[in-house]
Amino acid sequence: MSKRLFDPQMAVLGTYNRDAPQTGGAATSALRSVLNAGEARVRIRSSADIVAARQQVRELASLVGFSTSNLTLIATAISEVARNILEYAGEGEITVRFIREGNRTGVKIVASDAGPGIADLKAVMRDGFSTGQGMGMGLPGARRLMDDFEITSEIAKGTTVTMKKWL
Amino acid sequence: MTVAALPEGAPAVGDPLRTIVDSYVAAFHTYASEPGEFALVRAYELGRQALIQGLGVLEMATVHSVALTVAFEGAVQHPGRERLLEASEKFLVEALSPFEMAHRGFREANTVLRRLNEMLEAQSKRIAYALHDEAAQLLVPLHLGLADVAHKVTPDIATDVQGMRGLLDAIEERLRNLSHELRPPILDDFGLVPALEFLCTSVSKRWGIPVHLHAAIDRNLAATVETTLYRITQEALTNVAKHARATRAEVSLVRAADAVICSIDDNGVGFDAAAASERRGLGLSEIGERVMGLGGTLSVGSRTAGGTSLTVRIPLEY
Repeated sequence: MSKRLFDPQMAVLGTYNRDAPQTGGAATSALRSVLNAGEARVRIRSSADIVAARQQVRELASLVGFSTSNLTLIATAISEVARNILEYAGEGEITVRFIREGNRTGVKIVASDAGPGIADLKAVMRDGFSTGQGMGMGLPGARRLMDDFEITSEIAKGTTVTMKKWL
Repeated sequence: MTVAALPEGAPAVGDPLRTIVDSYVAAFHTYASEPGEFALVRAYELGRQALIQGLGVLEMATVHSVALTVAFEGAVQHPGRERLLEASEKFLVEALSPFEMAHRGFREANTVLRRLNEMLEAQSKRIAYALHDEAAQLLVPLHLGLADVAHKVTPDIATDVQGMRGLLDAIEERLRNLSHELRPPILDDFGLVPALEFLCTSVSKRWGIPVHLHAAIDRNLAATVETTLYRITQEALTNVAKHARATRAEVSLVRAADAVICSIDDNGVGFDAAAASERRGLGLSEIGERVMGLGGTLSVGSRTAGGTSLTVRIPLEY
């Protein structure tokens, strides 16, 4: 059972600014810790770093109020994009942060690398591009687990994947 | 660490499942004694590996059950049963997560396939219209013109002109047939059951094989489903007429709780699979693809009484 540690609809979240941590009385300590956390940044250089990135997103998303199964889906999406970084760029970084748009709250994950970049984004988002993708995994798999998914890439500059999951 | 002996019935050494089982049992043991992201990543990686190796969800359930049995046997002495259960759920969910990803991919592909089917259907309709209503109409003035010319020329030439008119008739006939094959207008005009009745009657007349239709459906089906069922019946009856040496055939269309089921049976010679793939291969595989596109299933079998039975099942949500 996931515990809902704060009400994401609370008005105080509307004025959230990560550079100016909330001190409002309505905020619980759990909430404050989410707000103060700003964004977590994890360097991805080896598969051990994937563990850390998943750990970060799981903690944050659980504070936001995601269910256990959704936490798993988000962690899985992180694994897939991180795997992609290691495989094609060698290294990169993943940032995780709490987001709010209108009355929605969620988490945003940005995975970026300064690798060779992807010439054909359409091809890379098609199933069957690599072994795992034939089974619906890889980047297309990550896209299906998240609500929003965006990928940009520039040859010789690198690739950035931005994904969001709403509560 | 040493892994406890696996319970009876666990996959034997050498079984491809066994490697996964051993790694899974070890990783679950680690997670149960020290819950953390590291062991969860292992669960996920094992699930991913299993999926790529072609294992299914049921096999993963077996693997998990073995790991749980091993863990419980070791857990009797310490008070960790509740924690073990909680760990069990989290670990399993993690190991199944790649399967969820694959499942979502499958569902998405299915939706795309369905849309593609609808597009093809619409295209067929357009081409059918162009052939029948446009191309065939253009031939009418030509026909009339030739008839007119035939009156104004010598009998010799008139005979030639009549010959040309005969060719025009053949072209018209061909266009009409092509158009009907693409999209039987009777489907649009009267619906599936009358269309099937018409089909059965024409097969009976043309090939001299009585075809009985038993149709019991109480609602309209989606246009793509209707066309698919019509085409399947058409293809199957053609097969029966051409290859089965049957003396009668039966078409049945019924509604189950969540699907529509159409079967075409005959009392012919049945068919042997090898010869069938040569002879009927194209027709059958085309039918199979159409049905798959609608999320349905197709089965072909020999009936005990002799003959062949082809059954198609299409889920009703379509």
